[in-house]
Amino acid sequence: MLSRYLRLAIVIVTLGGAIEASGQQATEMFIPIGQSPGLSNKESVIGTLESVDPGNRMVTISGSSGAQTVGITDQTMIWLDRSEQKQPNQNGGINDLQKGRKIEIKARKGEPKAVAEWIKVQVGP
Amino acid sequence: MTMFYRSQWYRKVLVLIVLCPLLWVLSAVSACVSMPSPPSDLVSKGRDIFFNETFQGNGRTCGTCHRAEANFSINPAFIATLPANDPLFVAEFNPALKKNFENPRLMRQFGLIQENLDGFGDLENKFVMRGVPHVLAQRTSINSNQGPRTGWSGDGAPGDGSLRSFATGAVIQHFTKTLNRVAGVDFRLPTEDELDALEAFQLSLGRQQDLTLPLPLKGIVAKRGQEIFLDNKLGKCNLCHANAGATANFGGGNIGNANFSTGVENLPDQPADLSGERNPPDDGFGRPGDGTFNTPPLVEAADTGPFFHNNAIETIEGAVGFYDGESFNNSPSGKLLAQADPNGVGIKLDSTQIVAVAAFLRVLNALENIWQSLELLASSAKKGFAERADDRELLKRAVSETQDSIKVLEGGGLHPEAVAHLQKAKELAEKAHSSFFRRNSLAQQAIDELRIARVQLIEVS
Repeated sequence: MLSRYLRLAIVIVTLGGAIEASGQQATEMFIPIGQSPGLSNKESVIGTLESVDPGNRMVTISGSSGAQTVGITDQTMIWLDRSEQKQPNQNGGINDLQKGRKIEIKARKGEPKAVAEWIKVQVGP
Repeated sequence: MTMFYRSQWYRKVLVLIVLCPLLWVLSAVSACVSMPSPPSDLVSKGRDIFFNETFQGNGRTCGTCHRAEANFSINPAFIATLPANDPLFVAEFNPALKKNFENPRLMRQFGLIQENLDGFGDLENKFVMRGVPHVLAQRTSINSNQGPRTGWSGDGAPGDGSLRSFATGAVIQHFTKTLNRVAGVDFRLPTEDELDALEAFQLSLGRQQDLTLPLPLKGIVAKRGQEIFLDNKLGKCNLCHANAGATANFGGGNIGNANFSTGVENLPDQPADLSGERNPPDDGFGRPGDGTFNTPPLVEAADTGPFFHNNAIETIEGAVGFYDGESFNNSPSGKLLAQADPNGVGIKLDSTQIVAVAAFLRVLNALENIWQSLELLASSAKKGFAERADDRELLKRAVSETQDSIKVLEGGGLHPEAVAHLQKAKELAEKAHSSFFRRNSLAQQAIDELRIARVQLIEVS
């Protein structure tokens, strides 16, 4: 009996591993760059967008600890941070990733490069 | 010499007689002057923010939906007692929030709150309706091997997903003045210090550790319910709700809080669906969701219904009965349980067994209520003359907890003798609340009655 439930445990733990308990991304889009609780300046990288490689789906950010390149996938959320203009933040796309813009990237480990879960892009007036 | 010392002694006593009342008056005046001083510790600060801070939003606070007098939750019966201008009903009187913010009918009838867990891009169509979970015993409930799990589906918080970050998401979702949700315009985000304080306050609420089952219960039905609950061949409840808490243990050690797809969404005739109001399916964890929801603690369940993320079931008996039904047994979790069972059965209980498990949960809840009441009354007795307002609040909460214990036991026809003592305890605590001079002795009598009631439910060593 125990071994049956141990097998069940393995299934559940495996499933549990797949569904990592990350934060709720829906409200994240309304949090201005640098203000994400527990993430900004700890887990995320804030800096200037150095370059974009749409073909290879990669962006390079230049932050306080140097340049860092991360991948973009179909699951990467891109949000336009317009809070400085007192305008509502919006969903964005890869075309909004323009060199020189201030961005914040939350990435997770990936092979060969880290993959962006979300990118916030500060949009000017 | 002797006379000299005697006269010195009399003089000292005389000075003390004169000085004592004077010092007493001075200390009382000083205490009165310092009464409104701001709370000094983090929990007190968090309590103040939780109940009073609107974050410059639409008027709601955390306490709007998580009411202390309603076990840090709300249900339709409680909602019905609120005035029309309560901030809970902001969608009914703030034109900017009239559409796509709440559904007043589903809120008032079923205690459901609108959430945009899958994004804010299509407010008209993409939303879910969820009940308000209580925020008790979070210290024992939200940690998992994969990180913290908050809210009904374990993904309630933005940022790092922690309980500390939860308030930020709640402000954005529920406190906004308009649907633009612009930080600094429609609300302000909580500061780092406020998040620390809110987390400390929330972690201070309710149980601070899990029980160790089995308990030496006295009631024969509840006792049988406990056996079924712990039986991994019959009730199987303890697998996902270890020690009636919110963590899972399948025999290989406790894995913390976990998400499961239990088929609640597949229940037929859900009350909110019967209303005819739009009520899109809730896909649970993630975006898009994977259909899983995390386990809530069960000790606090009996007095915090309705049950499940969608308030689909009103009674604790109905909630236990769900696991005997087709929706659960055809769900991924039900099928996994069946695969692990030598007879290929998920969960199969008869009515008497369902009622027994519910009776067990009712008694657990009543014991927790009694314990909380005892703590509150004991804290009340320690309050000084100058802390009258705090004292009254503690007594009020003790009355509320005792009332809950009466309700959960009466609702299951359990322990009538204990209920009689709980009634007395409640009356005494109420009298203590309104008494000026006898509050300590009345509170002590209430404590005595609660202890007698507890002895009727459980062997106390």
